Amino acid sequence: MKNYDVIVIGAGNGGLAAATTCARAGLSTLLLERHNIPGGSASSFVRGRFEFEPSLHELAGVGATDKSGQVEDMFRRFEGDVDWYRHDSTFRLVVPAKEGDTDTFVNENGVEVSIDVRMPVGFENFAKKLDEVVPGSYESCIKAFDLSVRMFKALDALDDPVKKIPASLKDFPDILKMVSHNMTEALDALGMPKKAQDIFNTYWCYLGVPASRLDFLYYLAMLHSYVQHGTGVPHLRSHELSLALDKVIRDNGGDIWYNSEVTKVIMKDGKPAGVVINGEKEVYGKYFICNSYPYSVFRDLFDKEEIPEKQLKMLNARETSVTLTTVYLGMNVTKEELGIKDYSVFIAPVSDSDKQYDLVQNYHSGYCIINCLNEIIPDCTPEGTCQLFLTAMTSGDVMKNIRPQDYKKFKTEIAKDMIETCEKALNMSITPYIEEIEIALPPTFARYLNTPLGTPYGYMLDKWDSMIPRTVQYLNDQPFENFFFCGATQERGDGYSCAYYTGEKAGGLVVKAMKKEGK
Amino acid sequence: MADLKSLKAKKFFPMLSDRQKRFDEAEAKFPTFSDNATALAKALHPKRQYLKVAEVNKRAKDCRSYTLVPDEERGTTSLAYFGAGKYLTVFETIEGMPITRAYSISSSPKESLEGKYVLTIKLVEGGLMSRYIFDTWKVGTEVEVSAPAGNFEYQPIRDAKKVICLAGGSGITPFLSMANAICDGDEDFELTLLYGSRDEKHILFLDELSALQKKCGKIKVVHVLSNPGVLVPRGMKKGFITAELIKKYAPKDEPYSIFICGPQQMYDFLDEELKKLNLPKKYIRHEMFGEFHNPQTQEDYPAGVPEEVTIKVTIQDNTWTVKGKSSDSVMQILEKNGISAPARCRSGECGFCHSHLLSGKVYVPKHLEYRRLADHKFGCIHPCCSFPLTDLEIDVPPAK
Repeated sequence: MKNYDVIVIGAGNGGLAAATTCARAGLSTLLLERHNIPGGSASSFVRGRFEFEPSLHELAGVGATDKSGQVEDMFRRFEGDVDWYRHDSTFRLVVPAKEGDTDTFVNENGVEVSIDVRMPVGFENFAKKLDEVVPGSYESCIKAFDLSVRMFKALDALDDPVKKIPASLKDFPDILKMVSHNMTEALDALGMPKKAQDIFNTYWCYLGVPASRLDFLYYLAMLHSYVQHGTGVPHLRSHELSLALDKVIRDNGGDIWYNSEVTKVIMKDGKPAGVVINGEKEVYGKYFICNSYPYSVFRDLFDKEEIPEKQLKMLNARETSVTLTTVYLGMNVTKEELGIKDYSVFIAPVSDSDKQYDLVQNYHSGYCIINCLNEIIPDCTPEGTCQLFLTAMTSGDVMKNIRPQDYKKFKTEIAKDMIETCEKALNMSITPYIEEIEIALPPTFARYLNTPLGTPYGYMLDKWDSMIPRTVQYLNDQPFENFFFCGATQERGDGYSCAYYTGEKAGGLVVKAMKKEGK
Repeated sequence: MADLKSLKAKKFFPMLSDRQKRFDEAEAKFPTFSDNATALAKALHPKRQYLKVAEVNKRAKDCRSYTLVPDEERGTTSLAYFGAGKYLTVFETIEGMPITRAYSISSSPKESLEGKYVLTIKLVEGGLMSRYIFDTWKVGTEVEVSAPAGNFEYQPIRDAKKVICLAGGSGITPFLSMANAICDGDEDFELTLLYGSRDEKHILFLDELSALQKKCGKIKVVHVLSNPGVLVPRGMKKGFITAELIKKYAPKDEPYSIFICGPQQMYDFLDEELKKLNLPKKYIRHEMFGEFHNPQTQEDYPAGVPEEVTIKVTIQDNTWTVKGKSSDSVMQILEKNGISAPARCRSGECGFCHSHLLSGKVYVPKHLEYRRLADHKFGCIHPCCSFPLTDLEIDVPPAK
């Protein structure tokens, strides 16, 4: 039986990046995936004449043509063949007017709104636009972006393996000052007006944590990566990203086995030594990188007495993050015929993120993000058609009382509600033109991602357990000396670029350890 | 308002210890919490369902209904609920050859809650699986099936409130399930069924269908008999399902959907007929085509393809070299060589057999082209509807 240098469990974005890193470094690498295709969330599916993007809104870190961002850079380093389509705006935020709202106006769609703003790419442009909508917010916005530039330097310092933690942050007193504060505290301190804060915080939902609990630097890092150079998407849906890495792994001698679910981790001398696949086949390895959730891994792959006590405590101390409902629509008209002018519109019943967070604990929240991929990739659907992608956050708890026989009706109701929210907010008719529809709820994500409560977001990135503390503690948090987690549950939370980052980092740790052992 | 001075750097290090403290103070036992999202995912999409035959009913000379119930001894205690129109993939091994077929569920969703699925199976001439089932499935036979799957379902947001269903022969099965679901209140639409049969004795579920029509005002059944020699009973139509006939039953001033399920010849005929109705694509929905044979008959099939090909197939760390006929799909060639490959729909659509084509060329009939765009770029195929044009080298996932 072959003994691999490294066995990677799960071919999500993190697992793909980890396996790519190891295979390229010449380690004998086996990547195991329980599904028949790679990618986890980064995939695609076909309905009729449409191929849908299941999860990606846009990738931060795909830079303008002359400057490259983190993700594009990673694919270039890996020699992964991806055809990028770039996008040079961030988001449009629409907050329809409610009774009692003062300061409302009728927008270009003929809807009375309290906020309707399109935020541009570039720190300066972004700050100017914010100032135009909320006078007096320019300076605070620029200050925030100045801090984000510094923070990326601080993060590099944190990744420096030689320096000890306090020392590596010593040169960054401005960052240290911010590091334990939430969005509201930090933006207040920078003097940003409340309404400007609400617009500034629009992307909070990508992280699933509202402003009062959201670590300032973490959010800032994310916003920075979207605003700096704009964003991008792969031409052929995320399936292209995942197959590109699949190819790099194979080309570098790595093995990938699909439909091969790890059903047990084999322990020897108190640490992992191998895995059982599909309940029957054993494979052995020296190192393990795991792209699944610690909760699911310890529930399914270990005997109870094998689980380190600290891991059990971590599972109990942490809160599973929110989850999503998504609706995929294949439309038999063009985006022009529908009247769509933006790639990404955030429709929110209120502008305050904490109030939004409370509302999305239930369905029918009036909160919905609508994306039209044809804005970036005009030929992503056949001529005369377009595709829409609706997203709303929700708590996994809302599924509590739904029985299997209620599920289809429930799904339909939720989708109708989300479509109506978009139709009203944009004064647009969508329903009559729907040729294909697919609806994904928390059980869909539970099925495809095997995550508790069907979350794609990992553990709540609460202020006390946010990016920097997780980064600092990463090695201490791992269950065994030869077993590393990567993906949404780790230091950077959810998101493609975060998962790639943690996968590449875990792969790098294994490569380094193997080198030390003389390989 | 606060200012920058109110932010304190020294809060950072206590924060790290706060995190440690939260972990230290947490309970050291495996957490339990209710997770209905996962429970629903498991209930609706079990990996396998272990069943046994509880009843066999002869529907016609060449058609039988098999009632399947959970086999608790093998670990299945209840059946996965489903939306009317879905199919089950049946797994069998015939003389050492692993084989699968997809069959629409003809019973209602409600009956699955009572622990019962019915598969109504027509004996196909030269059909391996149907012959095997007819010969071996008796009361008590153990049967292994997939979770319910497929996209041939009524969708209230997408489809019109009125649906004209066109069925041919055993293509009636998903519509029987839909009609029952409407009667049970599990679906809400008006179903007009135009059901084509050769003659009266070939009509499946004749009594059940008229009972459903009587019981529920939303259901109307019209039998269309094609055999020119026979006398057509009152209330039935003679000939074929044509655009003219559809128009006769279609609503005049509101949109309607058309659902079609039947044999390949019926699809070919109806595709032409439906063009005359000028309906938007969204209002016409086909059930899958079923396994495709004889690729040589297709117009775009290339010339000069060798009759016999060699396929080198890798599954995990095993490699075999097998021979097969170029008129068989890659999937069939594997199966005929005793190699089990993952198969569900066998019509190209579900993508479950997604595999890597490492070298060689295959032919995929246009109407079965459901691959993802990136699959073309990176050389991935669906073996169930890919026909070898040359010798091949492929990497296939294991069946389980």
